[in-house]
Amino acid sequence: MNAYLAFTRSAFHAQLAYRNEVWANIFGKLVQVVARVAIWLAVYAGAGATVVDGVSLQQMVTYALLGGAVMGATRPERIIGEIGRSLKTGDIAVWLLKPLSYPLYLFANECGSFSYRLTTQVIPTVAFTALFYGMLAPASLFHGLMFVAFWALSFVLIFLMSALFGLIAFWLMTSFSLDWILGALLHLFSGVLVPFWFFPEPLATIARHLPFAWVVYYPNAVYLGRLSVADTWLHLGLGLGWAGLFLSGVLWLWRMASRRITVQGG
Amino acid sequence: MLLHHLRVIPHLVRMHVRSQMEYRGAFWLDRLAQVLSYGSVFATIGILLARFQTLGGWTWPELALLFSFQLLAYSLGAAMSFVQLRDLEELVRLGTYDTLLVKPFSPWAYLVFSGLNIGYAGHIILAVPLLGWAVLSVDFAWSASSVAFLLAAIVSATLLTGAMITMIGATALMWVRSNHLFSIFFGFWELTRYPLNIFPGSIQITLITAVPLALTSSVPVGALLGKPIPILGDWAGPVALVAGPVWVLLAMAHWRYATRKYQGAGG
Repeated sequence: MNAYLAFTRSAFHAQLAYRNEVWANIFGKLVQVVARVAIWLAVYAGAGATVVDGVSLQQMVTYALLGGAVMGATRPERIIGEIGRSLKTGDIAVWLLKPLSYPLYLFANECGSFSYRLTTQVIPTVAFTALFYGMLAPASLFHGLMFVAFWALSFVLIFLMSALFGLIAFWLMTSFSLDWILGALLHLFSGVLVPFWFFPEPLATIARHLPFAWVVYYPNAVYLGRLSVADTWLHLGLGLGWAGLFLSGVLWLWRMASRRITVQGG
Repeated sequence: MLLHHLRVIPHLVRMHVRSQMEYRGAFWLDRLAQVLSYGSVFATIGILLARFQTLGGWTWPELALLFSFQLLAYSLGAAMSFVQLRDLEELVRLGTYDTLLVKPFSPWAYLVFSGLNIGYAGHIILAVPLLGWAVLSVDFAWSASSVAFLLAAIVSATLLTGAMITMIGATALMWVRSNHLFSIFFGFWELTRYPLNIFPGSIQITLITAVPLALTSSVPVGALLGKPIPILGDWAGPVALVAGPVWVLLAMAHWRYATRKYQGAGG
């Protein structure tokens, strides 16, 4: 276990090494969050209303700020890229020799990067923008606590989805397209920009049932109190079900993949 | 010297294109993935507009024109610069950039043309039909001069994109690392899919001056469609047209300056 903790720590420290990048990333994140809020201010102004479909402008601003927090600290492209790179260079073969699990190493590594981005980029930018635009508190203590659980689930789900997509590279021999395809699915179906209550039917119903919904939409909806207590528990269970499914997928693919490693690099 | 360059460039491009097309299946799968990715961004904006009708006073076909223009100009400019200049940092770090300096050829031209990225075909495959649909769908009376303006604005936006990426890449010659500046570049670039007037004043000023990416999207398209453009007003059209050539001159000066400061970092 200590080995994995060391991977987490080293991923955290590796990112801190370049101070200029820390500032550039904070700035990039800040611009992104401000832009998301600006889009909602503009569409509500265009509609000439402060409440649309029962959702107030302040709730939408909070949704936009939270979207940055939930999604902002995980970078699926880095996980997929890491697998793609190991495959290309041949480093992947070394993992078969070590008494360690490659998927668990990837998870430990991502935990380190996640903590780094959360503390240096996401929380400061969300807190800073919240001071300007105002951010609603969780709908209740229950919803606040459940938001934290949904957030943790969201992190695990993005990781598992990314690892699953990354491992497909063993058959395609390229990770580039997998990264873009997962990005496309997350952009449209996670609710990161537009929540499903503004989606037309039946697209909204489809989106609510896809696993991507647990990445941004459900954590945010829980925070804002748009799910009843019973629905919140139900959706947490469903989300855990998705996570279990993806976990078995990752473990199965890794087992299959390790049998067909063709070392080209090194 | 110029004739020598012109003779060598087609060879450099041909060699790189052949290497990129070696795995045809993977190449086209990658392009399909990019079409899906930008398609999903565009679909999200479409869903937003289907519910709210306008965004900052722009309708759906007007935003489609803005999005396709932005994507087309970016992909043409980035094909001539992005991957090549992003990799410059690594060349400097490893010391391999020195080998370009001793070639009887411009290092910039060698970098750009030996790495000409046909991978942007996916962006173009999505942007061109969308641009065609938007041109026919916007509520706007097209004339010869407005079509000429649109084409000239695409050229200017392409030049501006290439110039900015060149400047960021060239900074690696002085700082060794410059790729973090691309985070800032792309942070702002994502904003240029939307009308400039929806953003706070400080972002509007940045997008026209220091990181002038609004001049590659909402400023030219807004000027064409007669939309009110913040800060620039009636100057929006002329400024968008001259921005490309002016930034190319700035990028050339920056490249020369950075080359003079280059000391090498490799072992």
